[in-house]
Amino acid sequence: MEGLLLDVLSGLGRWTLGHVRGTGRAGIFLMHGVRGVFRKPKKFRAILGHVHFIGTKSFFVIGFTAAFTGMVLGLQGYYTLSKFGSEGLLGAAVALSLIRELGPVLSALMVTGRAGSAICAEIGIMRIEEQIDALECMAIDPHAYLIAPRFVASLVAMPLLTAFFDVVGIAGGYLVGVSLLGVNPGAYLDGMQKSVEWLDVYMGLVKSFIFAMLFIWICTYKGYFAGVDRGSFGPEDVGRATTDAVVVSSVAILVSDYVVTSLLL
Amino acid sequence: MAETEAGAIIQVKSLNSFYGQRRVLQDISFEVPAGKVTVIMGVSGCGKSTLLRHLIGLKPTDPGQIFVEGRDLAGFDARQMEAFRKRIGVLFQAGALFNSMSVRDNIAVPLRVHTRLAEPTISIMVRIKLHQVGLTRFGDYMPSQLSGGMRKRAGLARALAMDPEMLFVDEPSSGLDPITAAGLDDLILELREAMGMTLIVVTHELESAFRIADQLIVLDQGRVLAAGMPESIRESRDERVVQFLTRRADERTRDQEGYLSDLLTGGRKVGVHP
Ligand SMILES: Nc1ncnc2c1ncn2[C@@H]1O[C@H](COP(=O)(O)OP(=O)(O)OP(=O)(O)O)[C@@H](O)[C@H]1O
Ligand SMILES: [Mg+2]
Repeated sequence: MEGLLLDVLSGLGRWTLGHVRGTGRAGIFLMHGVRGVFRKPKKFRAILGHVHFIGTKSFFVIGFTAAFTGMVLGLQGYYTLSKFGSEGLLGAAVALSLIRELGPVLSALMVTGRAGSAICAEIGIMRIEEQIDALECMAIDPHAYLIAPRFVASLVAMPLLTAFFDVVGIAGGYLVGVSLLGVNPGAYLDGMQKSVEWLDVYMGLVKSFIFAMLFIWICTYKGYFAGVDRGSFGPEDVGRATTDAVVVSSVAILVSDYVVTSLLL
Repeated sequence: MAETEAGAIIQVKSLNSFYGQRRVLQDISFEVPAGKVTVIMGVSGCGKSTLLRHLIGLKPTDPGQIFVEGRDLAGFDARQMEAFRKRIGVLFQAGALFNSMSVRDNIAVPLRVHTRLAEPTISIMVRIKLHQVGLTRFGDYMPSQLSGGMRKRAGLARALAMDPEMLFVDEPSSGLDPITAAGLDDLILELREAMGMTLIVVTHELESAFRIADQLIVLDQGRVLAAGMPESIRESRDERVVQFLTRRADERTRDQEGYLSDLLTGGRKVGVHP
C-alpha cells in the first residue's frame, strides 16, 4: 500500500518536473529565437523565403476556408436575424464575427495545419540528421539561423492572411446573403460600415499577431527538441513531435483566443 | 602511450561518458598532436562517434577531462566555444548536409555567414572544395540526389570550406569504392602536409588507417585498447589488439578479393607476431 502511494507520488513528481523543465526550456528557446532576430547572420532572404512558405502557399487554403466560412455565416445569420425581422443587419453580423473572431482563429488553425506541421517536421529532421549539430560546429547559432527568420516570417504573414480571410469571408457572406437570399445589398454593406469599429479591427490584428507567435514558437520548439528527451533520434520522433506541435498549437490558439478576448473587451 | 608530445593541441584525460545510466566511454586518455593525423578505430558501437561529439563540444563533458590548448573545454563560455568552433571543421557520420539546399549552397553556408566575400569569390572557393573531394560536376545536385559516399564527400567539402585548423571526420570512406577511398586518404595527407592541419579521423578501414595515421587509437567497449604509432600497434603482442586486427580481416570473408589482399598485407604482418 505504501509502495503504491510512493509510486504514485514519485510518478506525479516526475510528471510535474518534466513539465516544469519543458516549460522552462521552451521559454529559453523563445528568448534565444527572439534575440536571434537581431544577431548575425543577415536573414532578409531567408525571411522572404519563409513568408513565401507560410504566407503565399497558404493563400488557396485560406481563401477556400474563408469563402465557405463567410457563406455559412451568411446562411446562419440570415436564418437567425430573419426571426427578428432584421435581415438588414446581416452584413454587420458577418463582418464582426469574422474580423473579431473567426478570421484570426481559423487562419491561425489553417496555417498551423498546413505550414506549422511542415516547419516542425523540417526542423525535426534537421535535429535527427545532426544538421543542427553541424550548424553549431560551424559556429552558426541555430536559433539565429533557423528559428529567428521563421519567427519574423510568421509575424509578417499571419496578419496579412487574416486580413485576406476577412475580406474573402465577407464576400462569401455577401454572395449568400445578397445574391442568394435577397438581402438588400446597400443594407449589407452599410450595416457593415456602421458597426465595424477600429477596436474590432485592432482586436483581430492583436489576435493574429499573438497566434502567429504562439504557433511558430510551438512548432519550431517541438521540432528543435524532437527526440531529445528520449535520447533517441529516429523518424518516429519527428512524427511524434509534429503531431504534438499541431495539437498543442491548436489548443494554445483557442485558449489564448478566449483570454485575449476577455482582456480586450 | 609513452610519447608526451610537446605540441598536443587537444588533451583527453580519463574521459567518461554516459547515455542515461549507461557508460559508453570509460577512462579515455590520449593527446592529439598538432599538425598530425590521429586515427580512432574500433568495432561498431564502441563509442567512436560519441568520443568525437565530446571533442567538438556537442556532448557536455565533465570539467577536467578535455583540454584544448590547455584550457578546459567544459569551462568554455559561449564566446570561447564560438571561437573554438571557427577553428574546426566536422564531417558527421551521416554527412549532415542541409537537405533543403544544393551541394553548392551547403558548402557556401559557412562562407556566407562568416565572411564578407563577394558571391563570385564564394562561388570559386566552393568549386575548389568540390574539386578537392572529386564532386566537381555535382554542385547543383540536392543532397537527396547523391549516393551515400558522395554525401560524405560533400560533407567533407563543407567541413573544409573555412580552411579549419582542426578537422574531425567520422568515417570518411565508409561506403566508398577502394579507388575513391584512396583518393580521400591522399586528400587527408595533403591537408596535413600543405596546410599543417590537425586531423582526427574515425575509420573502419584498416589499410586506410595504417596509411594515414601518425597516431592510432584503438577503442574497445568504451576503453582505449591501444594507442601509439601505427608500427607499434601493428607489432603489438597484446592479445586483444591482435584479435582486433585479425577479426577485422575475418569479417571480410564475404569479399574474397578484399580478404586475400588483407591476408597479404595487414593481416599477415600481424600474424608474424603471434
Ligand atoms: N543517443 C544515444 N542514446 C543512447 N545511447 C547511444 C546514443 N548514441 C549512441 N549510443 C550508444 O553509445 C554507444 C557508442 O555509440 P557510437 O555512436 O559512439 O558508436 P561508434 O563507435 O561510432 O559506432 P559506429 O562505428 O557504428 O558508428 C553505442 O553502444 C550506442 O548504443
Ligand atoms: Mg559512429
